[in-house]
Amino acid sequence: MLDPASGPFLFDTSAESWLTRADSNWMRDYLTRHKVHTSAVTVLERSRGYSLLYRGAPEGKKESIEAARVAYFNRLGQVWPLDEAVAAVAGEIMALLPDPPTSPRRAHKLAESRPDRLSRWRFDCMIAATALVARLPLIHNNAADFEPIRSAIEKFPHRFPDLGPLELIRCQRLQPTVH
Amino acid sequence: MTTAKRRSGEREKRRTTLTLPVDSLTQAERIARSRKVTLSAVISEAISEGLRVQTALQRSEQVFEAYKKAFSGFTDDEMAILDGIILQPVRKR
Repeated sequence: MLDPASGPFLFDTSAESWLTRADSNWMRDYLTRHKVHTSAVTVLERSRGYSLLYRGAPEGKKESIEAARVAYFNRLGQVWPLDEAVAAVAGEIMALLPDPPTSPRRAHKLAESRPDRLSRWRFDCMIAATALVARLPLIHNNAADFEPIRSAIEKFPHRFPDLGPLELIRCQRLQPTVH
Repeated sequence: MTTAKRRSGEREKRRTTLTLPVDSLTQAERIARSRKVTLSAVISEAISEGLRVQTALQRSEQVFEAYKKAFSGFTDDEMAILDGIILQPVRKR
């Protein structure tokens, strides 16, 4: 298993929540040594998520959603900005891989629209670009999106001078037993 | 702390009496002899390191608890929305 001491790492949006919801000992160990590094894009996705849930919730549930939002934002770790370097690298990735590698997500009677799938794909490109610029391995829970990005960077290294390879770590690898 | 001590970076000290386990004390004395430093220096370093670890553990627990609060009580679909996946009801054609 990956040694938490070998961090810090950049956490993709879903990996951050997955590891903490799994009550991961690895995550507890990691937090004694490092901050959780995330992209500003993750903050955007969370902020939008809490806001959408709040707006759609019945009155009785709004307070607990707001408390959850405050808990999240009160303990933000190291947030990497979407600056010019990240924007330049993300643009290269998006040009190489303009379309999402998988279909929009579906669940029960719910579905992700094509425009929302495209924007999520572009957000993932920005998160991968942040990992490259920050020179941090990226912990993720979404191989279907991040592996094509890693492959494209390996295939066209001249488009990413002095950067890469993109080091990916699946968060399932950090949790031997998940309940 | 005096101004001179503050300028030199030296930390203020105070004498005290401690009761320590014999084996720990023996080990500390052995380390002090081998490093040619005082027993006080070795004990002080050990306490500082212990306190650093305790502080890190406390901070880790606080952050972990905040995360649990931030992500608890949500359904899988709601967590998907928090993770950036915008799911909407499927319209019947």
